Amino acid sequence: MNSKKQTLTAWLCLLPAIIFLGAFLVYPMIDVFIYSFEEGYNFASQSYFGIGGYNYSYVLHDPYFIQALKNTFIIVLITVPLSTGIALIISLALSSIDKLRELFQTIFFLPYVTNTLAVGLVFMILFQKTAYTDGMVNLLIRFFGGESVDFIDGPYSAKMFVMCFYTIWVVLPFKILILTSNLASVDPIYYKAAKIDATPKFRIFFKITLPMISPMVFYLVITGFIGAFKAYSDEVALFGTDLNAAGMNTIVGYIYDMLYGNSGGYPSYASAAAIILFAIVFTITIINLLVSEKTVYYQ
Amino acid sequence: MSSNTDGKTGSVPHVNSEYKLIEQRATAANVFGQIIRYLLLAFWALIVLFPFYWMILTSFKSYSSYNSEYVPKLFVTSPTFQNYVDAFTEVSLGRYLLNTFVFTVVTTAIMLVIVVLSAFAFSRLEFKGKNILFALFLSLMMIPNELVIITNYVTITNMNLRNSMPGLVLPSVISVFYIYLLKENFEQIPDELYKAAKVDGTSDMRYLWRVMIPIAKPTLITITILKVIECWNSYVWPRLITDDPNFFLVSNGIQEIRENGFGRENIPAMMAAVVAISVPLMVLFLVFRKKIMAGVARGGTKG
Amino acid sequence: MRLFSFMKKSGKAAAFMAAVLMTMSVLPLTACHGSRESSGFEIPEAFDETSKYEITFWAKNDTNKTQTRIYEKAIADFEKLYPNIDVSLRLYTDYGKIYNDVITNISTNTTPNVCITYPDHIATYLTGSDTVVPLDELLTDSRYGLSGDELKYDAPSKDEIIPEFLSEGIIGDHYYAIPYMRSTEACYVNKTYVEKLGYEMPEVLSWDFVWEVSEKATEKNEDGTFKLNGQKVLIPFIYKSTDNMMISLLKQEGAEYSDSFGNNWLFEDVTRENLMEITSHAKTGAFSTFKISGYPANFLNAGQCIFAVDSTAGATWMGTNAPLCDIAKDKIVDFETAVYPIPQFVDREGLQISDNKASRLAPEEKKFAMMSQGPSICIFNKKDPQEVLASWLFAQYMLTNDVQIAYAETEGYVPVTSKAQDSPEYQDYLSRAGEDNTTYYDVKIEATKLLLENQKYTFITSVFNGSASLRDAAGSLIENVTKSVRRKTEVDAAYIDKLYEDTKSLYHLDQVSAAGTGKTEFGELPAESKWLVRLLITTWLLIGIYIFSNKILK
Repeated sequence: MNSKKQTLTAWLCLLPAIIFLGAFLVYPMIDVFIYSFEEGYNFASQSYFGIGGYNYSYVLHDPYFIQALKNTFIIVLITVPLSTGIALIISLALSSIDKLRELFQTIFFLPYVTNTLAVGLVFMILFQKTAYTDGMVNLLIRFFGGESVDFIDGPYSAKMFVMCFYTIWVVLPFKILILTSNLASVDPIYYKAAKIDATPKFRIFFKITLPMISPMVFYLVITGFIGAFKAYSDEVALFGTDLNAAGMNTIVGYIYDMLYGNSGGYPSYASAAAIILFAIVFTITIINLLVSEKTVYYQ
Repeated sequence: MSSNTDGKTGSVPHVNSEYKLIEQRATAANVFGQIIRYLLLAFWALIVLFPFYWMILTSFKSYSSYNSEYVPKLFVTSPTFQNYVDAFTEVSLGRYLLNTFVFTVVTTAIMLVIVVLSAFAFSRLEFKGKNILFALFLSLMMIPNELVIITNYVTITNMNLRNSMPGLVLPSVISVFYIYLLKENFEQIPDELYKAAKVDGTSDMRYLWRVMIPIAKPTLITITILKVIECWNSYVWPRLITDDPNFFLVSNGIQEIRENGFGRENIPAMMAAVVAISVPLMVLFLVFRKKIMAGVARGGTKG
Repeated sequence: MRLFSFMKKSGKAAAFMAAVLMTMSVLPLTACHGSRESSGFEIPEAFDETSKYEITFWAKNDTNKTQTRIYEKAIADFEKLYPNIDVSLRLYTDYGKIYNDVITNISTNTTPNVCITYPDHIATYLTGSDTVVPLDELLTDSRYGLSGDELKYDAPSKDEIIPEFLSEGIIGDHYYAIPYMRSTEACYVNKTYVEKLGYEMPEVLSWDFVWEVSEKATEKNEDGTFKLNGQKVLIPFIYKSTDNMMISLLKQEGAEYSDSFGNNWLFEDVTRENLMEITSHAKTGAFSTFKISGYPANFLNAGQCIFAVDSTAGATWMGTNAPLCDIAKDKIVDFETAVYPIPQFVDREGLQISDNKASRLAPEEKKFAMMSQGPSICIFNKKDPQEVLASWLFAQYMLTNDVQIAYAETEGYVPVTSKAQDSPEYQDYLSRAGEDNTTYYDVKIEATKLLLENQKYTFITSVFNGSASLRDAAGSLIENVTKSVRRKTEVDAAYIDKLYEDTKSLYHLDQVSAAGTGKTEFGELPAESKWLVRLLITTWLLIGIYIFSNKILK
């Protein structure tokens, strides 16, 4: 009766999705997996040594990959906790003021809708020190009595600093938005009860607010980790496409370099690196799945 | 209501003034806290806004006056439109904008069709293997884009679709997350409506079009907004498969200008280009900000 | 977040499915990525003028509109002669991009027909089978070869191509490329400043002279501006291409660099001494590179540089009256430009004019030498031999006088055929230096003459699969040393040792060999990788234990 017709309609409806997903998601997944085991396959020679783990070995021994790995981990470990913390502080502040709140919210969300390459360029100019000018930021540093530093072309720590700063600047809008709406949805009954008990502000925060929003905070931390591991365009925005020259390459940048860079078309190495990245991201996702049951308070 | 009686309630005036003191201190602390909060927020607002201010400011400085500023100035002495003229004539910036516009519209449109149909099938229709298929779909969400881009690159090159609009659009259309989002929304539509429609003899498609879509409008708007932002700012895919400037999108167009074009030296003109490509989304944002922010929040919390 | 709980329930089923799918599909699909069918190329009996052929031509053009027009005119003229051939032009701003694109397209069989390239790149294209067409037979074919009988245009004969340039297209035992344009490096000197400092311009620039003048120029006034130009910025000596710099130094000092088997002598003491010398000048701010500071032309024209070394093909950007300019007009300073060969250790007769520690270590005699560079053309193999022949016809057309002279005149290029070089039209062009500041721009013509006069002193480097990487490595040594000095890092023997190690591994120079791309033996995993693997493994063990213990507790 209807079920046959429904089945037909359903499959027809799903057909476009299946085609696109199959062609551009499933097939590539398998294909990349295969590439990663075809040792040393490259576009020019179109041949490979054999089937085995050579590609993974190559990637794990590659100094470029090591540098990218280091950079990515540093970015992840610094920006995720910091950005979540700062977002929390700002959201709390936003929730407890009433005048100008909308204005601030609009301003804080602005970076989300702008192109990271465009704004990154501006950051680069502000932080860069050339032969002609010290740049805006160095001006401020000198004003406070410090020595000017070239953040874009100078020592590694300066470059990492500006990288983390920019990354935090970019991810903050989303986090602030999520946290503010989450804070707003906490039932005010709890606060009223606490006020009656004359609970000090600190205890209110730690015993009520934080547990209430902890699922969201945890979620932001997890998605923050995953997003930070995939960092790439922000780096390009600041340092240009040749990230290896700047020593600021990331894992994703390494994958693209292997695919289309001056080393000339090695989808085998790119795939091996991509699978390694996937392993990292997948691990984090699984951890999230498991932990989210235990330590999070539900309303 | 305390008159100054002595004896048993001799402490009342004390309590009164003590209470007043505590209250004063509390309000003082409150005000102090408020000031700190406002300062903090204003500080971050400044950090957020300053790059934009700088971007716009520099785009109006003339090339020579910009270069002569050893100490960068925070204002412009003789503003000029020359940079915008340069930006649009040196490279076909207008073309990049047009490309991106077409890309965004086409990709979002196709995506909407696919997402609506799929979410409808999963939420409303019954068929064998529905749960397993959906589970499979969900598991696909874990696949990072960076992984599949490798093969998509080869596929598109094979089909000779590099430097073409279809090549840009096709792999960018899909997203399992939006299907999930919409399915959830559709599932909240009560069964009774469906049964009623069936009694009236409405076909499934009509039901979808007439009833489900209007009810799910907020989510659809959310999805559209998120996709538009994603498309407008898309960088890696266009960079990988286009090298013909006629097909550049704004992101890789800007990158090209910065590395190989006039952006290497002419910073004000570079800023003008940057402002030009940021304006469309910013205007969109300022006009629809409430909807956009609500939509992103909704999308974010569901994940 | 509700998503995650849903995923947990169905996630396990899905994960299992996915794993099954993947393992099943790996096996049959491994045959998928393989080499294409290879088919050699044989010259057809006659060119088929009745069928239509579409040729793609990929060329480089660095925002020089005149050059674009010349390409377009060449195509139009060619298409008039051969109406059945349709040529479509694609322009790139960078040779590297052409290289990347060709590599990608090899695997999908969508390579162009003709492209502008460098022999270094061709060496990598050749690792595939039958990608680039060997030109030996085509060159000598009586009908369609150089100045063959059946050609519809006046092409040069083999003798009429400068032999040194032609031989640069030999890789291994075969010709794979024909030269297109040639240039060399020149030193563009701000003569006014040199004389202001109290020096006289010598016949030949020696390294000693250049270093001495550059050091003198670093003197500053009390307010921090430079005495020489009164500006805040002055970098007396800027070298555009540091790879050329390193290689030229070695060549001039009589030291070895590389051979066609892929062996290199880059990391010897000679290089070390050169690097120490460069460091001392980078420290005082007398020397910098393009990658660190910017285009030499921009500094030169703004009166902020004295010795700017760049290709003769960049001559139209150099000097007070340069027709092409990146900087603002009011920044340009008035001065006299002199065009010299790059700094040397000996003069053309072999007499020593400067001395350095490095050359005392080198085994061979010192030489008067400068790099020969410039694009070449190669054609790609296709299924239809007629299409390949059509590509060859077009490629050869680029060697005709019309195209050669027109293109050479756009920059400090030299035509690669003596036919063009000796033609009255070209000779006339050379004689009119200074008539205007566009076609007859004097700096450009002087740069061209520089190459013509010094043709026999030019050299090229060996080509092998990986020679491009070696070249990059050579340049990076100088870049790193200069960068470090600017960042106040101490550059001493230990630093250079480490730099050598890092560079060797970064550019995979231990793997480079003409014996083919064999698998390399890797040593131990570096520490970071070990940690990564350990981290992943321990995490999964913990996850496993956690799930397991959960199951037990239930």
